[in-house]
Amino acid sequence: MSRRRVLTAAATVGVGASVAGVAGLSLAGEGENKDDGQALVISLRDARKGTFDIFSGEQRVTFNDRKLAAHLLKAVRRG
Amino acid sequence: MSSHREAPEISKDPVADSSDLYAFVSPDHPDTVTLIANYVPLQASASGPNFFEFGDDVLYEIHIDSNGDARPDLTYQFRFRTELRNDKTFLYNTGPIESLDSENWNRRQFYSVTRVDMHGKPTLLADKLPCPPCNVGPLSIPDYAALAEDAVHKLKSGEKVFAGQRADAFFVDLGAIFDLGTLRPFQDKHLVGQKLFDHAGKAVNATDKTNVHSIAVQVPLHMVRRDGKKKVRGRDPGAVIGVWTSASRRQVQVRQGDKNHDDVYVGPQTQVSRLGNPLFNEVIVPMAQKDLWNSLPPSEDKRFAEFVATPELGALLPVLYPGVFDNLAALNKTKAPRADLLAILLTGIPDGLIDEFQNNTGKIQADMLRLNTAIPPAKEPNAFGVLGADLAGFPNGRRIADDVVSISLRAIAGATVPLVDADFEPDDAAALVEQGLTIKNVSADLLGEFPYLPTPFDGFNNPPAEKE
Repeated sequence: MSRRRVLTAAATVGVGASVAGVAGLSLAGEGENKDDGQALVISLRDARKGTFDIFSGEQRVTFNDRKLAAHLLKAVRRG
Repeated sequence: MSSHREAPEISKDPVADSSDLYAFVSPDHPDTVTLIANYVPLQASASGPNFFEFGDDVLYEIHIDSNGDARPDLTYQFRFRTELRNDKTFLYNTGPIESLDSENWNRRQFYSVTRVDMHGKPTLLADKLPCPPCNVGPLSIPDYAALAEDAVHKLKSGEKVFAGQRADAFFVDLGAIFDLGTLRPFQDKHLVGQKLFDHAGKAVNATDKTNVHSIAVQVPLHMVRRDGKKKVRGRDPGAVIGVWTSASRRQVQVRQGDKNHDDVYVGPQTQVSRLGNPLFNEVIVPMAQKDLWNSLPPSEDKRFAEFVATPELGALLPVLYPGVFDNLAALNKTKAPRADLLAILLTGIPDGLIDEFQNNTGKIQADMLRLNTAIPPAKEPNAFGVLGADLAGFPNGRRIADDVVSISLRAIAGATVPLVDADFEPDDAAALVEQGLTIKNVSADLLGEFPYLPTPFDGFNNPPAEKE
């Protein structure tokens, strides 16, 4: 994740989905598994549990980080 | 319609909307099977300057199950990419298009073909194959048929492929059927219609003179069969394949809203459209579950079996046509599951019910178009398929000219109940009911060779000018 460039992030409070936009490539075809420079989208699916989905290439990875979720929510409230 | 705009969500996404699926042993190459999936339905031909095309952001697939587990053993994937030659013009073409690499053709579409085996291993079979242009008109495309013929590609791996615009050869009296289940030839016998009409009406082909975008692949039979056999007997379970098509989109799309950053499409492919048997999602599945059905694989279809066992249309027919379907009404009252429909649509017809015929794939209930590949093409096809004693037609696969609407109506009306209940006597009307259309009501001729579907209607002549 550190090799990728996350530009913006947004989240909604409570259970719901949100999107962080990332500069990147357009449509990816078959055989794409390279990491660098690829689009990455993070969705905070459950703010209370800190459940994130990371969408990259044709994959979705889910992880939990309540602290990160709290930071993002705070940033959103600040506008 | 077969599956045009059959569910609420996909009706708003025509680029990914599968409208018809055909699977038949090729009449001119009986050692191959032809699979055709139509998308982007109900195209008006005069649609410039932005003519219809496949979605660059859609994954189109045709799946084949060869062992009856309702999971793909072979999948063909089609991915499209659009290229613009001239960013200074608003025109689709700036002069006549006489070849697939014409300098005058501004907005072209190419595609790749990937074959995925039963273990999920993909193999790229071809890349950057050109689609033909849309049929703009005779000034832009003087010889459309020849141009489209050039867009039939023979792959080194043995398949033949075509992807591009075609005339829609599906025929249906949509306006009547969805006006309270009217069939114009029987409109004066309809519960409400008998107050309006004192005579039988003539059916109207609502999809005539519209175009679609077709994905067609012709595959040697041994490549789709379970054991890779070049010859099988009709009774051999390995002779039967199950076919369906699906369209998927990436789970996430981000519209950047500025020209400095490309829009983003990431995440797993999420299925948004599916089609096996014609009319399954359209007429069998309740509206509240149609979008769900489109998102699921056939292996999940057990959950929809109750709607096949007691079809809503089967209950409506005796009400809509009073006194015409009395035997069906009596059958409905028993609440016995329609084992005939469960077999036809979800498992295939087992051996022993129809002489010299079976297209059974086992116990797993799944909506797939089932084709017994050992049955050769009919010399004189009957549009009523198996119901017309033509074992090479629907519901044994589906040919382009098969009248799947009337076949389905007759089956739901009770014509196929005797397959599973010898004591049941269908109403006379069950063997007579039909929508009143044939392939002759399609104003374009089928081709005698792959991809078989007719040349698309051109924009200049459709709608036609008034005669001077």
